[in-house]
Amino acid sequence: MFKYNFKYELKQLLRSRWIQLMSALLLLLFGFATYNGLQKVEERNAAITTAQDKARENDKIMVKLLDSLDRELEVSIPSWRHPTNPMVIGNSYPRVAAMPAETFAFVATGQSDMFTHYKKPEVYGFSFIEDFTEMTSPVQLLFGSFDLAFVIVYLLPLLIIAFSYNVLSAERESGSLRLLGAQPIRIETWVLQKLGLRFLWLSVLVILTLLMVFLALGIPPLNKMKAFLGLISMVLAYALFWFALAFLINLWVGRSAKNAMSLLGLWIVFVLLVPSVINQMGSTLYPLPSRALMINEMRGTQADVLKNVDEILDNFLRDHPEYAVNDTTLQRNYWHSFMVAQKVIREELQPVLDNHDQQLRKQQDWVTQFKWLSPAVVTQEALNQMAGTSSQDYENYRQQVLDFSHEWRNHFVPMVYNNTVFSKEDIENLPHFEYQPLKGTFTGALFTVLGLSLFVYLAGILAYQKKSRDIILKTE
Amino acid sequence: MISKTFSKETKELLREGRVLISLIIVILLLAVAVFISARQYQNINEQYKVAQQTERANWDNQGAKNPHSAAHYGTYAFKPKYPLSLLDQGVDKYTGTSIFLEAHARNEAQFSAAADQTGLARFGDLTPDFILLFIIPLLIILLGFNTFTKEREMGTLTLLKSQGISSFRWIWGKWLALFTPIFSITFVLFLIAGLVLSNLKDFGVFNWSTLVTMFLVYMVFYAVFINMVLLISAKAKKSGIALVIGLSVWIIACLVAPKMATNFAQARHPYPTAQEFAEAVQMDKEKGLDGHNPWGEEAQQLEREVLAEYGVDSLSQLPFNFDGYIMQKGEEHQAEVYFKHYNHLKTQYGKQTQVYQTLAVMSPFLPTRFLSMSLANTDYGTHWHFNDAAEKYRIAAQKLLNDHFAENSEYGDWDWKADANYWQELPSFEYEPPSLSSTLSKNTSNVVLLGGWLVLSFGMLFLTVKIK
Repeated sequence: MFKYNFKYELKQLLRSRWIQLMSALLLLLFGFATYNGLQKVEERNAAITTAQDKARENDKIMVKLLDSLDRELEVSIPSWRHPTNPMVIGNSYPRVAAMPAETFAFVATGQSDMFTHYKKPEVYGFSFIEDFTEMTSPVQLLFGSFDLAFVIVYLLPLLIIAFSYNVLSAERESGSLRLLGAQPIRIETWVLQKLGLRFLWLSVLVILTLLMVFLALGIPPLNKMKAFLGLISMVLAYALFWFALAFLINLWVGRSAKNAMSLLGLWIVFVLLVPSVINQMGSTLYPLPSRALMINEMRGTQADVLKNVDEILDNFLRDHPEYAVNDTTLQRNYWHSFMVAQKVIREELQPVLDNHDQQLRKQQDWVTQFKWLSPAVVTQEALNQMAGTSSQDYENYRQQVLDFSHEWRNHFVPMVYNNTVFSKEDIENLPHFEYQPLKGTFTGALFTVLGLSLFVYLAGILAYQKKSRDIILKTE
Repeated sequence: MISKTFSKETKELLREGRVLISLIIVILLLAVAVFISARQYQNINEQYKVAQQTERANWDNQGAKNPHSAAHYGTYAFKPKYPLSLLDQGVDKYTGTSIFLEAHARNEAQFSAAADQTGLARFGDLTPDFILLFIIPLLIILLGFNTFTKEREMGTLTLLKSQGISSFRWIWGKWLALFTPIFSITFVLFLIAGLVLSNLKDFGVFNWSTLVTMFLVYMVFYAVFINMVLLISAKAKKSGIALVIGLSVWIIACLVAPKMATNFAQARHPYPTAQEFAEAVQMDKEKGLDGHNPWGEEAQQLEREVLAEYGVDSLSQLPFNFDGYIMQKGEEHQAEVYFKHYNHLKTQYGKQTQVYQTLAVMSPFLPTRFLSMSLANTDYGTHWHFNDAAEKYRIAAQKLLNDHFAENSEYGDWDWKADANYWQELPSFEYEPPSLSSTLSKNTSNVVLLGGWLVLSFGMLFLTVKIK
């Protein structure tokens, strides 16, 4: 019976132009989305390269200046901008702390349109509560990007629904179900085979079209076999979930229109409602401290510290006699008080900032705890992680930049207090930033979605057993 | 005959479970959405009030200080939420809410809500605008997809023809039957929103005329959708097909077109990155006068000019402190640089807007979305308006401080301090969002686009659908 079913289904899918239409649609959607993704990645990498090139140019100028000053030649810039002052290096010759795109970054825009991909932490300008957002039109953020993840998470289920909502009901409505009832096959097995075959063909089409798109756009899938297979398995697991849902609804509900409506309702629930409800509950249960009030706090601390800066500096030097020992000039200028004021403000604000990060982490934990309620959320997050554009990735980058900015600032502290002159030999000792990407796996996500599919499938079987065969076979 | 068709269709809708269930779900969702938004609105405005007062106190109590130090210390402008954000949150989640106003620099608004949330925030929120813009059109499709196909499927078409009803009346009756429930839900929602808002204390700029305009915008949007659904139902052979086509239209109009527009807009008219923008500004700033660098070429030039103008031969003989004067001149140059670069951003955004409007041909959703957020003062335009107002205030504040420095101190005396209670003379920052008429005049093209959709879809419906 399976052989007949296989042949009949293939013929039907070809005759109804399902396969042709699906291939064309997938090719079009995947192609357009991948192209968009690649464009964004290119933009991102180009910006980073330009910044690094500029920084290198800038460094060359610095070397020249140091050279000239070393040989006591006249230079064209005022003395307060001479790179022999370590503070000038700390402020005007920052390093680029970049977050380069990962190989599969084009798969999901994720948070990449919202956050910046490179920072240049300076000693002076880097704020206590530095903002890491990018200059993007908020309209773009609101509408989102047409990327591969959108096609997979939002559109693919709709395609599946459109082609599987009436597998059983169409037979009933056209009257051929009774004929089928006379065949030696159980109805649920028959529906399962029919949907299984559709899933099989869809999988073949997804793999082929993705391969074609990747090859056409110059992404070598073979070099990144593991990542490519990961992407495919995630997509197929997600598709399987929707087929399982179609199976359940086909057996459970009844008329074509009602099936379509139920499946659509479920689509809204899983893709639109559950994510927003989880998010909203997360931010209600673990509200982030108001940024406006945080600004108040920072400003208050800042004002207090500035009023007492001389006293603070004295105390600081008393605690750090090493800074006084090596310095014979004992000159105190603006930078001395500035550095110590910054240090104190930072230390006092730290609990506020930590509280903020902690609440955000709690929200993230909340999401992790409940995201299995919607396979759409699980899949979207898995794809974001694959692309290195998830919230966690940007949080990781932010922490690394903050650490680096700390290192950068501290590198100059002894120089400032010892009134050291910056020389060419010091260049190679300057701290250097290298982004360490997160090593996420998506096996968890994969098994979650597969588990959900299995659950829905079992529910389908149960639904069938509750409903007697006669009711299902009954034509109106 | 219109009323008979109407009452028959309404009865039919009410008898069917799907209508009642969907209506109840939509109303429940709306209730939740309104509740959440109202709470958020109150919360944010309370925080805003506290933050504003504390910041003002920080400014007022900074003690005796050189005015230019105070200028560097700066102050903050906070963006309030507007009453109609209760109905449409627009881009509010993605725009910064506080701007640091300091000497020499125009800062971007910082700290958008979305950046402070998990990645799930990008799926969208359960807010009234989500229901108004996405769910209700879907409801229209679910209620209306088989309006005409069912007559054919049930064989009632032949009976109908024998009644001698005109196509026009027939369609009109069905149209009204579909429109009435949608109208009722939306009307109740807007009425509740209006009552809630007019009873909130300090509701500020809320007025009923904006609310009514917004209501009308949505009514036009729904009418367009109803026309499309009826047209599809009349042309499709089977109910199932009508449903699938209707859904495809919904997907393209509400999901695909906005995203496509976004990709086209950014690819063709890109924004610079925040760093590139800052560097471009810095380069232009260095080309002109810097108030902190009296040795610069431009500073020397200014010095010669001022000396010549007042006919004196040293800066200390001037009737004012040249330090303050040059600081103000530098400030003016920098403000011009910012003006130029922000104008470039605005031009880019203007071009992006044209991309969105071109794609509005594909989607009545786009002009509705833009109109709705404009009316709610939660659009990008209002954000610009707020930014510009803050910048204007910043420039005025810098002038006040620099002039005070120039007029009251001696040249070279950087230790001079203004009185501790001088700071209160800086007027506080007041911001008024754009009025209804100016919002509408800025959105003429969106009004025209939406109107075009209405006329065209009505025309198509009544001219091409016949009883046959």
